[in-house]
Amino acid sequence: MDILSHLTPMFFALIAAGTAIGIIFGAIPGMTATMAVAVCLPLTYAFGLENGIALLLGLYVGGISGGMVPAVLINIPGTPSSITTTFDGYPMAKRGEGERALKIGIVASVFGGLFSAAVLFFFAPLLADFAIKFSYVEKFLIILLALTVIASLCSNMLMGVFSGVLGVWLSLIGTYSITEGGNGEPRLMFDFMQYYLIDGFSLLPVLIGIFGLTTVLLDAEKGFRDETGQGPISLKNGAKFRFGVFKGQLTNLIRSSSIGTFVGILPGVGGSAASVLAYSQEKNFSRDSSQMGKGAPQGIVSSESSNNALTGGALVPLLSLGIPGDSTTAILIGAFTLQGIQVGPLFIGNNLDTWYLMIIALLAANVLMFGIMYFAIRHIARVIEVPKYILYPLIIMMCVVGAYAINYGIMFDVWTLLIFGVFGWVAHKIGLETVPLIIGFILGKSAEVYFVKSLESYGNYSIFFTKSPIAVCLWVLIAVSLAFAIYLRVRSRRQAAVES
Amino acid sequence: MESQWLSLLDVTIDFDQSHLFFPRIVTWILVVLLAIILITRYRRLVPGLKHAGRVLAGREGDFDHRRFFGTLALTTAYFYLMGVLSDVFPNTGYSFLIMSVLFVFLLSLLYVDRPTRRLWVILVLNALIAPTLAWYVLAQLFRITLP
Repeated sequence: MDILSHLTPMFFALIAAGTAIGIIFGAIPGMTATMAVAVCLPLTYAFGLENGIALLLGLYVGGISGGMVPAVLINIPGTPSSITTTFDGYPMAKRGEGERALKIGIVASVFGGLFSAAVLFFFAPLLADFAIKFSYVEKFLIILLALTVIASLCSNMLMGVFSGVLGVWLSLIGTYSITEGGNGEPRLMFDFMQYYLIDGFSLLPVLIGIFGLTTVLLDAEKGFRDETGQGPISLKNGAKFRFGVFKGQLTNLIRSSSIGTFVGILPGVGGSAASVLAYSQEKNFSRDSSQMGKGAPQGIVSSESSNNALTGGALVPLLSLGIPGDSTTAILIGAFTLQGIQVGPLFIGNNLDTWYLMIIALLAANVLMFGIMYFAIRHIARVIEVPKYILYPLIIMMCVVGAYAINYGIMFDVWTLLIFGVFGWVAHKIGLETVPLIIGFILGKSAEVYFVKSLESYGNYSIFFTKSPIAVCLWVLIAVSLAFAIYLRVRSRRQAAVES
Repeated sequence: MESQWLSLLDVTIDFDQSHLFFPRIVTWILVVLLAIILITRYRRLVPGLKHAGRVLAGREGDFDHRRFFGTLALTTAYFYLMGVLSDVFPNTGYSFLIMSVLFVFLLSLLYVDRPTRRLWVILVLNALIAPTLAWYVLAQLFRITLP
């Protein structure tokens, strides 16, 4: 077994280090798992494939898990996916059960993470086997479906669609790559730009700018005011945690983990949707939900198991179709490419060892996350006190390293980081949706190749509707996703009208 | 009849112009979407722009001009001077190290409300230790290219 030779102490040490760094990032309000992966990318450049994967997946799992710490202690979700943890975690912390609330969250998180890793292990190869049969037509329609689902679930569908198309447009700047069957001619830029943009904007500087620098600018604009108005709550008093609290919670755990995994599989929907959906389902279906929102452990269980279940779920479309499931996996796709991994339908079959290593890394990251957080929660809780005037300059510094080193020393990539950092700030101000924009940016070039090659082969637009039953099914799914989004909007408007 | 209808959807892509085929379609979709957004929101657009102008001019809202524009100016200067200095010290990472020490210190100072003597010491130590550590680990140990 060649795979055993990769399971070195270094492999597990990097998972632990990644998980610990991810937890710290997640625990600081405003900093996310996406930022953790973006900022720590340069560290992976020095490692080989296996160790790079270990660090990245550790960061991913740790970043999502750490978000519960400020959610419980200061009522601010460290990551968007911890929003519903505040509903019950903070009331528990206020009555002196902060440590208990956090440990409930940690156990629920590890359950959700392991559940989704199992789904990833069994489901991704099936989906990849199915996707291997796809021609360019179906591949284009898959991308169209992904962008439609993302855009239709945005708070404003029109802006979501616009953002996704803008992302595609930005990705087309540069030459039409000869290696992809193009003619090598430049487009969408002036002549003087060709020296810098002949290959277009590099993916990772764009992502690092949008998720790193934009966050700093948004906080700088607010002047770094203390949003809590009070210090963190002490963990030292109150009721102790016992595993007995999970008695009767198995249904909640499985349901919430399933919801989290499913939402993760949908491209670009995001962790906050998963936790809100799981929380509302627990409220609807549990025997006694009267205490939810006032400090009920079941609320933390549903929230944390669902948001950690995202990790495995979001990797399903990434590894089987090459489509990122959320913003963090969008950065992972770039990091994997740097490591020589081409994700997509052929990935699992052609890279079985790497695939098994990923699963092992994901499982280990969840177990190590449990170990680190469960036994060191009192120390981790102090992370939220680290001032941003120390952290943010260092984050920009690490962003520079990530952007500069990505193409072995091109200064324009550093300017790309600044351009897209400012662009991300402007996008936030005018209501553009970041997730469809970056997914559009990532998938834009592939969409062009699939679209143009399909038409070059068949010479008729109708091929997108008539190529195969799969194509028809994909159009049905696109229509359903749009109809569902419109239905949700009409229903929420009616509810708002009734309430007013 | 059916084939006549289908022939309306025929398309021939000239290889020499194929680089413009998909971008043109995407640009048109973008323009149409932008037009729809402007038409459906034009009533909110002008007041929104006026409000943004007032906020940026400091006449309204809670916008911290000093920290926002200070961050932008320092970051731009950091990137520019790093590029200039990297011509003086090529392929050593010294440009990154020198400029990062200055940048981290100045940006931290910009973000601090009331710098005390103790805070000054912390900021100076942070600005010296963190970039040096990053430079040593990344450039010296891991051999990662730095400016």
